[in-house]
Amino acid sequence: MAMRQTPLTCSGHTRPVVDLAFSGITPYGYFLISACKDGKPMLRQGDTGDWIGTFLGHKGAVWGATLNKDATKAATAAADFTAKVWDAVSGDELMTLAHKHIVKSVDFTQDSNYLLTAGQDKLLRIYDLNKPEAEPKEISGHTSGIKKALWCSEDKQILSADDKTVRLWDHATMTEVKSLSFNMSVSSMEYIPEGEILVITYGRSIAFHSAVSLELIKSFETPATINSASLHPEKEFLVAGGEDFKLYKYDYNSGEELESYKGHFGPIHCVRFSPDGELYASGSEDGTLRLWQTVVGKTYGLWKCVLPEEDSGELAKPKISFPETTEEELEEIASENSDSIYSSTPEVKA
Amino acid sequence: MQTPLPSPVPVLRLPRGPEGLSRGFAPDGRRALLKPEVPGTPESPVVHECQESQEQRARALLRERYLRSLLAMVGRQVSFTLHEGVHVTAHFGATDVEVANFYVLQLQTPIGVQAEALLRCSDIIAYTFKL
Repeated sequence: MAMRQTPLTCSGHTRPVVDLAFSGITPYGYFLISACKDGKPMLRQGDTGDWIGTFLGHKGAVWGATLNKDATKAATAAADFTAKVWDAVSGDELMTLAHKHIVKSVDFTQDSNYLLTAGQDKLLRIYDLNKPEAEPKEISGHTSGIKKALWCSEDKQILSADDKTVRLWDHATMTEVKSLSFNMSVSSMEYIPEGEILVITYGRSIAFHSAVSLELIKSFETPATINSASLHPEKEFLVAGGEDFKLYKYDYNSGEELESYKGHFGPIHCVRFSPDGELYASGSEDGTLRLWQTVVGKTYGLWKCVLPEEDSGELAKPKISFPETTEEELEEIASENSDSIYSSTPEVKA
Repeated sequence: MQTPLPSPVPVLRLPRGPEGLSRGFAPDGRRALLKPEVPGTPESPVVHECQESQEQRARALLRERYLRSLLAMVGRQVSFTLHEGVHVTAHFGATDVEVANFYVLQLQTPIGVQAEALLRCSDIIAYTFKL
């Protein structure tokens, strides 16, 4: 029997959540940072959504947030015309990088030595984090405010999106290599290093381009205006969310819509898969972050199969098959427990 | 026959939220151990703990890290060094609660490939995998 998705709601923000990012997998698990218009970006444990801390210091809405690979540093981009770098273990502010306009996007290189920033001043800036006093290198060329800028191709190139274009730049020469034009506003961009795929959303479309050549690989149309989409690490699924408050899940290979989930009370601004692909997080205008299971019913993080207690009469015991393996196959190979998932009476608010 | 209403996936609890006005990043949190110890700095007061609870904390931390390493291993190719100089590789699936057996897929053995297998942990000397 199929189970119903139980999203986990992470509360704490008081205004719309506009950006979110996961770290890589570290010995302490993986982490999640959320950018919010309340100016207080938050760090959470990635697999449970448990709040760890709030980065205090910005004096305006935070538009972009990111973590470095091992989650030791965080960076945020804000409407107070600064980008800040933080110690993600202690929560202390390490650097404030002054800009000439609202900063929208921040991204660390793989080695955490450089930070890329971009925003309404239409410039890409590269800061050497080992020389915080040095002036950043600047790349100009965009004709409208930059919404997102990302390192790609092992940090040898940069991808940036403004209102109607996506551009590819060479890091060493600081020159434009290629560009794509759209006749609709580009709402989001995600870069997948394995496979060099770029996920771009605009209007009701989700498009996949090669991050190297910018050639179109494929694109899907959705029922609503999409603000953000994310591709699963194994490239089996993609998830997307937008103006109709729903989260959509598609099969990447066939383009078939697999699921749609209601839950948010406002437009969804950002969606991202976790680094292990087991869950995805969505941030919304309603001020919440929600965590969703990729495989509904699987034991992971806070989603748990509850073992039946002898004295607990509340637990209902319908046997449910593990999604990938049938009950019979499991009985054969398991030595003791049959890995059945028992459902409890639904008390949890979705 | 009417399809029964699917029941929602049970959860242990809801995600913990912010604690009042605190900014968090608990100084005695597990990741605080990442910071090199600097004795006598004003920011980190020296806490006197009894030997036992310090050891217990260290054990809990190591246990958690090990469990997380197992989680990170799921789906990956792992090379196992077994007794008598035997080396096998397989895709890691799961472990049981005592970590007595590893459920693996596509086990490549000197006598062929086994689609699914249970490796007895007591037979394993070491294993490695790439993150």
